[in-house]
Parts: sequence; structure tokens; C-alpha cells
Amino acid sequence: MDHSLDPGESLTSKRFWDWFIFPGGIWIALLFAIPLFLVLALSFGHVDDFGRGVYGFSLDNYRDVFDATYIPVLVRSVAYALATVILCLLIGYPVAYFIARYGGRYRYALVAALVIPFFVNYLVRTYAWVALLADQGLVNNLLVDWGLTEAPIQMINTPFAVVGGLVYGYIIFMILPLYASIERMDPSVVEAGKDLYGSPFQTFIHVTLPATQAGILAGCVLVFLPTVGDFVSAQLLGGPDTYMVGNLIQDQFFAASNWPFGSALTVVMMLFLAVWMVFYLRRASKGEAEVL
Amino acid sequence: MGASPFYKPRFLKVFTGLVYLYLFIPIAIVIVFSFNSQKSLQVMDGLSFRWYTEFFNDPTLMDSLQVSVQIAVMTMIISTIVGTALAIGLVRAHSRTSKGFNVLMLVPLITPEIVAGISALLIFSQLGIALSIWTIVIAHITFSISYVTIVVRGRLASIGVEVEEAAQDLGASKWQSVRLVLVPALWPAIVAAGLLVFALSFDDFVLSFFTTGEDAQPLPVRIWSMIRFGVSPTINAVGTLMMVVSISAVALAVLIPRMFGRRESGVKVLTGAEE
Repeated sequence: MDHSLDPGESLTSKRFWDWFIFPGGIWIALLFAIPLFLVLALSFGHVDDFGRGVYGFSLDNYRDVFDATYIPVLVRSVAYALATVILCLLIGYPVAYFIARYGGRYRYALVAALVIPFFVNYLVRTYAWVALLADQGLVNNLLVDWGLTEAPIQMINTPFAVVGGLVYGYIIFMILPLYASIERMDPSVVEAGKDLYGSPFQTFIHVTLPATQAGILAGCVLVFLPTVGDFVSAQLLGGPDTYMVGNLIQDQFFAASNWPFGSALTVVMMLFLAVWMVFYLRRASKGEAEVL
Repeated sequence: MGASPFYKPRFLKVFTGLVYLYLFIPIAIVIVFSFNSQKSLQVMDGLSFRWYTEFFNDPTLMDSLQVSVQIAVMTMIISTIVGTALAIGLVRAHSRTSKGFNVLMLVPLITPEIVAGISALLIFSQLGIALSIWTIVIAHITFSISYVTIVVRGRLASIGVEVEEAAQDLGASKWQSVRLVLVPALWPAIVAAGLLVFALSFDDFVLSFFTTGEDAQPLPVRIWSMIRFGVSPTINAVGTLMMVVSISAVALAVLIPRMFGRRESGVKVLTGAEE
């Protein structure tokens, strides 16, 4: 390896640096890009008599995806993901704004503190919510003890619990880009806005929001993408009535063992997400600070 | 929204405080109840190390712990080397290759993990590779390379080509200027990236779930089946221990660049911000 990297006369300057790209680039191409096409190929296949997926040229799996049985699951996944994005934005914006504008010398400590929960295992964090929200869980026990309700309120197995778990799991992807864009904003622009629009609310709508638009968009995409494919929250905090497309896909690869149908579901999901992924990649390749 | 909530720091302060509580209460619950002497997840009966003892005496769980550490270490080593090289290449080369891979490199990071898991499962089954600890490592490396690349690239952007050019003027070959000048300057970022990748790999569930075979199941996969069998206090103990491992790794990742006299870069490592 060392020898090939030695800049002999034959190597032009560009070729020299390309050698650094190849190992990682080829790894990602071979083990990430090409397998995606395998998923696409298998989605046109079927299951043989032994329950194994075999390749083919049929659209049956896609007909099944858009069957009346599964449409509600697809719609629900998008609805939950949108609700998660909106909640993350409403919760995350004030927090990011406070840290960026008023955090002072504690700014970095505050950001680090936000990131810590994200490095606690997602299953363990979701499991903590199961313990909190269960019918005999801590929250219900407190509510009953304080006389706020007679009987425990059902919180687990509801859409609220599933969306709550998703917000908890992914809100960091919203706050970090928001923080980056608010921090970069010139405070004097806000002052100018106050002179121009008078009320702080008007200033927020006309100055602050547009100035931080890049962070808002990046945060929304970064929360939306993993949320749509999530199956942990719906599995642990929900039930069959709250299953998302991720649960359906995961089922096909394990319990139901129908890989071709699972692949078709994956392709449909990816096509739906591709618009947002391309949007994000275009901004990222232009080097916008918020998106990384 | 009211008249003007966003310009009153007091409102913002209280709101931010509540959000921090929301983020930390579930984690605090896990830690506190991991020391409960009883099985209850509602009432603390007394302090004990009962659930930790149970964890350390469970051969299956200890096996999983070992598997998880092995996977994280191997992922860390390989992806740090490959990802650092990729970062250097992407920043220094201004070729068509580098433009293409600059975009491709980001795709694993924004693809839902379940898709990456299924793709990995399909390529292994297509190639006839039996699922083992190695298939998990390979799957983990794929997304870790991108992660390392972004962290190292952030640091690299702040290092001009002048130093390398100076080294070459003094007679160093191009390869020597990378090895003797560039890599030492990048060292804090490389170590930080490695530690972050260790934590991410150690905690990863979804990719491992799709690429785990019959035996050698990493801890998160084991926890998944434990949770589905019902709530068990041992999970609190395992969760607390995993927390200690990954947060130590992340804390080191933040502190190491600071030890090299760069106050801000620790947080920039976490946020991935360009310098």
C-alpha cells in the first residue's frame, strides 16, 4: 500500500488524493449502494415452497403493498412522523434559541447536556418510558395518589405514547441544526427588525424565522427520515393498532418470513423518502453548515 | 403563541429547563431503579446491587457484553482508518471522484437504519455468508466510515495546505507530508471520531438486529428480547452500565480535542459543525 501511495512521477496530483478515497468509497458503494439494488430486485420476486425469497419479474408484491390492509399502516406512519417533526420543532426551537442567544458561557455545556441522553441506548430510553407510562407505572401511580384521577389512565398502547417515544428519540436531530443556524444569525438583524416591525412577534415572524430557515428545514428532514422507518417506539410503546411501516417490514423479515414483500415495502418507503433525501443532499453538497 | 414569548428570556428559561427535565427524568429513573432491592419499578424499597449481581452472574448476558465490546472495538479501528483516509481524500482531491463520493458518503447517515439493516441482510444472504459477529461488524463499519469522515473533515477544513506545502519544500514526499504533518495535526479529531463511533456501535440495535446470527448476540439485541418478555429490573442495571460505557466514550471524545487547546472543538465534534 505504501508503495502505491508514494508519489512517483507517473502519479498526477489528483490521482494521489484519489487513492485516499477509494477504500472508504468502494466500501460504501459495495456494502451500501449495491445492496439497495438487491432490495429493489427482490421486491419483484416471490417466496418459494421452502419460504425462501426468489427473484422474479412480478408486481404482485406492490399490489399487496397498496392493498386495503396496509394502506392505513402507510398513512399512519406518515401521520406519526409528521406529528413528531412538528412537536420536535415546537419544543426544539425555544430550547435552541435560548441556548444560542442567552446561554452565554454555558452554551457548550448546555449543548453537551442535550447530547448526553442521545447516547443512552434507544431501547433503554424507550423502555424507561414504558415503565413511566404503564397502567401501573410511575406516572399513573402519582396521578392516583394525588387524587387527580380515580383509575389509571391508559397511556401505553396509544398513538400519543408512540409519537412521544419518537419525539424523545429524535429531537436532538432537530435541536442541533436549529442551534447552529440561530447561533450564526447576526443579533443586529433582530434589532433592525424590531425598529422596522415594532412588535417582537412580528420581528420573529419576519426576521428570525426566515434567517434560521436552513436550520429548520435541515432539522425537519433529519427527524422525518429516521422516524418514518422506526419500529422500536411502536413496538414497545404501542400495539397492533399503532404499528408503523417499520413494524410491518421487520415482521416480513422475521416472523412472517416474506422477504420479497418486505423488500417491496422498503422500496415504497424509500421512494417516498427519496424526495427529502435528495433535498437534503443538495443542500449538504453546497456546504451549508446547518445540515451536517 | 401569545404576544411575544420568544423575546422573554424568563419564559425561555423555564421552558428550556422543563425540556431538560423531560430529557433526563427517564434516564434518572433507569439509574435509580437499577439499585432497587425489590423487583418493583414503581416503589424504591431499598438500595442493593442485586440486579448488577444478577447481570454479572448471567452467562448469556456476559457473553453479549463481550460480543458488544468486540464489535465496537473492531468497528472503531477499521472505520477510523478508512474514514480518516476518505476525509483527507475528499478535502484534498478536487477531482470528479471526490465530488461523487462527497455526496454518496452522506447517504448512509440519512437512510433509515431499517433499510441499511435489510440491505446488509440481503447482501450477506446473496453471497452465502452466514450471520456472525463479523457480519455485524461489517454493517456497523459502513455507517461509521461516514461518521468518522464528517468529524475529521470538519477539522481538516481548518488546516490549510500551507503546512503540507512547507513540508514538501523541505524535501518531504507527498506521502511523508501526509504521514508526518497532516495526520499528527488531525490526531485529536481522529481519536474523538473513533470514540464516538465506539459509542454508536456499542449502542446500535437496528443494524445488529438484522445482521445477528443465532449466537453471539450483542447486548442491545439481547435487551430487545428481554423487554419483549416483560419488564425486568435487570434491564435497568444493563442499561445503566451501557450508559456509563457510552457516555465515558463520548465525554473523552469531547475532552480530548479540548486538551489540545481547542475549547470549542469538543462540542463541534458532537454537532459535526464545520470549523
